[in-house]
Formats: sequence, structure tokens, C-alpha cells
Amino acid sequence: MKLKKASIVVMALALALTLGTAAPSLAAKDFTFGCAVPLTGLFGKAGNLVKDAYTLWMETVNAKGGIAGKYKVRIIFYDDRSNPQTSAKLVEKLITKDKVDFLLGSYGSSQVMAASAAAERHKFPYISGGAASNKLYERGFKYYFGTLGKATEEVRGNVDVFNAMKPKPKTVAIVGSNIPFTALACVGYKKYAEKYGFKIVHYELFPIKLKDYNTMLLKAKSKNPDILLVGSHLGVALRVMKAMKEIDFNPKAVAFSYGPTVPAFVEALKSDANYVFAASEWTPALPYKGPVFGTAKQFHDRYIKRFGRAPDYVEAASAGGCVVQQVAIEQLGLKPGKVGKAERVKLMEKLHALDLNTFYGPIHFDKDGANREHPPLAVQVQNGKLVTVYPAKWAEKAPMYPMPAWKNR
Amino acid sequence: MSMLIIQSLINGILMGGIYALYSAGFSLIFGVMGVVNIAHGDLLMLGAFITFWMFIGLGLDPFLTLPFSVAGLFVLGYLMQRLAINRVVGAPPIMSYILTFGMHLMISNLALVAWTADPRAVTTAYSGANLAFLGLTLPWIKLITFLISLGVIGLLYWLLNHSQTGRAIQATAQDREMARLTGIKVDRIYALTFGLGAAITGLAGSMVVAFQDVEPGMGLPYTIIAFCVVVLGGMGYIPGALIGGLILGIVGSVSTMLFTSGWSIAITFFLLYLMLLFRPAGITGKGIVE
Repeated sequence: MKLKKASIVVMALALALTLGTAAPSLAAKDFTFGCAVPLTGLFGKAGNLVKDAYTLWMETVNAKGGIAGKYKVRIIFYDDRSNPQTSAKLVEKLITKDKVDFLLGSYGSSQVMAASAAAERHKFPYISGGAASNKLYERGFKYYFGTLGKATEEVRGNVDVFNAMKPKPKTVAIVGSNIPFTALACVGYKKYAEKYGFKIVHYELFPIKLKDYNTMLLKAKSKNPDILLVGSHLGVALRVMKAMKEIDFNPKAVAFSYGPTVPAFVEALKSDANYVFAASEWTPALPYKGPVFGTAKQFHDRYIKRFGRAPDYVEAASAGGCVVQQVAIEQLGLKPGKVGKAERVKLMEKLHALDLNTFYGPIHFDKDGANREHPPLAVQVQNGKLVTVYPAKWAEKAPMYPMPAWKNR
Repeated sequence: MSMLIIQSLINGILMGGIYALYSAGFSLIFGVMGVVNIAHGDLLMLGAFITFWMFIGLGLDPFLTLPFSVAGLFVLGYLMQRLAINRVVGAPPIMSYILTFGMHLMISNLALVAWTADPRAVTTAYSGANLAFLGLTLPWIKLITFLISLGVIGLLYWLLNHSQTGRAIQATAQDREMARLTGIKVDRIYALTFGLGAAITGLAGSMVVAFQDVEPGMGLPYTIIAFCVVVLGGMGYIPGALIGGLILGIVGSVSTMLFTSGWSIAITFFLLYLMLLFRPAGITGKGIVE
């Protein structure tokens, strides 16, 4: 009797095992991509944008039959809760436990710094469209690639737009939080402000943990700058805006390195978000064109149709990273179930060699993994909507400048 | 320059009021039952989320939600004391550290599961509006928060010194056994005290969310500030929380003005170190030293 029971258990187990093993063999027609990205926490709002970009790429590719027209794409997303250590651990998990074929990059320099180190160790190419710290490229990594410009160059549009103003403003104050991307954004501001002959009347980096910005910004206010340039992520940008209103700080303009292009910025601040500038590297008005998504405008339209909102440049850069990886996979003729270490080494070499035109613009990675520079752009929130205001040849509207005082809004 | 210093003093005083309020709760709990409540900042976080959800869900003005977070946190504090903390009252301090640290981990992680790590903020029509005079600006929300904080601390002080229950709390704090002999139900007084401490902390949290973003992991830094405040003002001495809160607020703000915001945090902790070294009973000298 006992034996019978045991044999039933064994049979049941065997059945379960065959069912269990049957699933991957079915799925071997698919390519599995893994992505650890902040979906909650300080970077959660922006991280979700990256997830949307990847989702749209997956859906677009799968609608055309998949990679090379026949291999469907599946993406495993994990939330790293805006914690770099967690991000690295999740990338390890994706590689060793979920056994993904390829990786997709995360959002935020601190996350990407940690996660790409894990990818490098396992020789997995790792392309990010949401990280810009210069330090990412100074590690001698072979498997790390970034589609955005380097942080110090990415913010250039924020200074260029004021250099082109008539009359040209004279003084700038620069503040930023002291985490990798935002601190480097301030270095970039300083570099271009000096180059164009702006007088820097105030410069301060502050701890990311600082919560009450009133006194910190009071110092900048006391120097009475024409322009306030901020090295920011979304969270920092929101706190700066709240504090500016509380202390009645009225420069002629305020510009952020990142934040205003995330929809949560306008949602949280409503009409107070108007007149704010932000640096950008991509707009649908650019004459870019390439495989998968077609033109920049077509990508933009497809995005609106799918998510009911326009993509920002980080989303474009993230989807651009997917496109270049897809083209490399197709050109190498890689097949699902047959992607091992040797194939990924070839993929890395291919990514270094490719020179591709895409909807996001030209993608050509240097030896250090950085993309070829794109022209600097600036956007502004006008009546609750983001519009490109610089350079003039691609501008949708003229910049609204100067910003009226808080009392008169 | 002098105007700037005055403005930064004002900013510091306004922040000091809210520090003082939730630190008074921390101080009260320590003074009466000798428990250093490491989960204190988490109680503040819960108060903040009560207000946040009532604002989002019901569209209630943040200041109208205050009674709800006071009541909610009072009940929670009362139960926490009755069910758990009562067992470590009178035990070596390390026992209460371990217990309340465990509570901190539980509350903050449950909140993380329930509400995710997203920072959230409440934006009202009057957010950022300020009272301007003589070239100085006083944000309305912070001004009202400051006045409510002062009022509540005053009320607490009055309650402790002039009401029957307050005197029973004080008697229990001074000598538990003597209090028991005079017929005071000591366990009930402890639970009541903890509830009261939690309630004013929840109140502080509800007001914090009106001008700062909040998230489940915000608690511990607030506990640390409360610790600094009561060390400065004197452990267990309620007016000391007000003095300590104001000092900490002013030092933080003025040193941000004179040096950088990074320095202000370092200076705050240096001050804490000096106090522990030279005046462990606080500036007033009325704190409890063990």
C-alpha cells in the first residue's frame, strides 16, 4: 500500500517535471531579455518611462513577427526600488537564475553603475538609454554602452538656449545634488557658462538627503542671478520648485538637467510648472530615420497612440538602445536557445562596430561605449505642455522668457 | 547680508517647531517609561500617510485630516504599548532598543510593501504661498504648522502639570512603585502616555506632508533628529524638546547659509557629540541621565 502511494507521488513528480521542462523548449522560439529598473522609489517615475519604452519596442517588434521576423521578444522586468545594490543583484539573478539571452539597461547613473558591473563580469552587453554620468565610460568596460550623451554634454542645451537669447542674460547660479549624474551636470553647466561668458555668481552641490531647500536656495536668491541652472533628477527638481515659490525666488528663468520631461513633474506642480526649461537630446521634429520605428515623428506618434502621452528623450534613447541591439542580433544571425558566451562576445564586438541611423539619431559607440554626440536641445513647459524651444531650426515655439514673478502668475 | 541671516533664522525657527513637536512625543515616552523608541519616526510616517491618503481619496484639506491622524496614532500607540512595549518597561535599555528597532523594521517594510518606495507629496492651492513683509518671506504652511506645534506642546505641558491624568503620568515617571501604592493604574498610564506620544507624532507627520515629500523609509532619519533634539533639550523634559528643536532648526539653517548644506548636517552631529560629552542632561540641565 505504502509503495503504491510512493509510486503515485513519483509519477506525479515526473509528470510535473516534464510539464516544467516542456515550457522552456516551447519558449525557445523566443528571445528573453532581462531588465532591472527602478519602478518605485526616488527614481521610480522615470524608471517607469524606460519600462514603457522597452514595452513599446517589444510590442512593435513582435507585431512584425519578432527579431529577424520570426523570434518573438519577451522581457522580464524587475523593480530595484531605486537601490543600486538591488539593481546589481537583480541583474545577477536575471543572468544566472532566469537565464535570459540579453539584457536591457536601467535608468539612473547609480543604478547603471552597479548593474553594468555585474553585466560586465558575466560578459553580457548592457546598453542604457537612461544614464549619462561620465564615470560610466571611465571604467575600461567592454560590454557597457550608453545611447545618451555624457552628463557634462547632455545639459549643454540648457546653457545654449540662454546664450541665444536677446538680450543675453548675464549671470547664472548653479546648484545640484551631489550624486554622480547631477553633480556632473553642474560641471557641464559651469564649462559652458564660462565658455559663453556668463558670470557664475553662485555654485553649490548639496546632499541628496537634504529635504528642506529653502535656506540653500536663499543663498542663490541673494546673489540675484538672471538664470538658475539645476543639476537634478525628478525628485530634486520638484523640491527646488516648491522651495523657489516658498522663498519667492524669481530669476528670469530656471532650467533643470532632468525632471520636467517626466509627466509627474507637471502633474505635481500644475500651473507652477510653466516657464521651466529642461535639457534634451531628442525631439520628434528631428530629421532622423531608421529600422523598426521609422522616423522620429513616427516613433512619437506610435508612443502617443500606445500610452496617451509623448515620449521624452530618455525614452527615445532607451528604445534606440533596443533597436541597435536588435540590429546587431539580426546581423549576427543569432537564434533563440543558442546564445552562449561566444555569441555574446560577438554581439559586443558587433555593437562596437555598428554605425546605424535610427529614429533616435545616429548610433555609433566609441571604444569606451559612449554614443556619438547629438546636437544639444532645450525644451520648455508652456501651458502645461512640453515644447522644443532650442535650437531655432527645430523649435516648435519661441521660448517664453523671462518668467514672471510668482506673485504675478 | 544681515537680512539673509534673519531670513535663515526664520527658516530655522519654522523647521524647529516641527522638530520640537514630534520630539516632544519621543521625550515624553522616554521620560515616563525609559523607552528609547526607535520606531518613533515610523509613527510620524504613518501620520503623514493618513493625511496623504485622505487628501488623495477624499480630497480633504491636509489640515482637516489632523484629528484623524491624531486619533489613529493614539489607538495604535496605545495598542503597541499594551501588547508589546509594556513587557520591556523596567527591563535593561537594550531590551527596548531591540524591540522598538524590530518594530521600526516591521512598520517601515510593511509600509514599503503596501505603498511602494515612491516619494509622494500633497500640493494644495496654497502650497508655496507666503506672507511677505520687510523683504522677508514666511511660507503660510510652515507658519501655521509652527503655531500648531507651539500650541500642542503648550497643551501637553499644561496637561501634564494641571490635569489629574497628567499628574498621574508624572507620578508614574518619578516613582513607579510609589505611584502604584497611591492607586494609580500604572499599566494604563503607560499605555496612555505612549498613545499620547504617538498621537502628537502622527500630528507632526500630517503637517510634514503638507510641505515635504514622504515615503515609507523616511522614519529613521526623523528618529535620529528626535534623538538629537531631546539630548540637546534634556531627555524627558517637555519644554526641553522645544528648546532643542529650535536650536537644531536654527543651527541647521544658519550653517547652511554660512557654509554649505553638507556642513550643516556635520555641525548638527558635532553639537550632539559635544552635548553628550559636556552636558548630558541637556542645555536646561533638567534631562534624565542614567
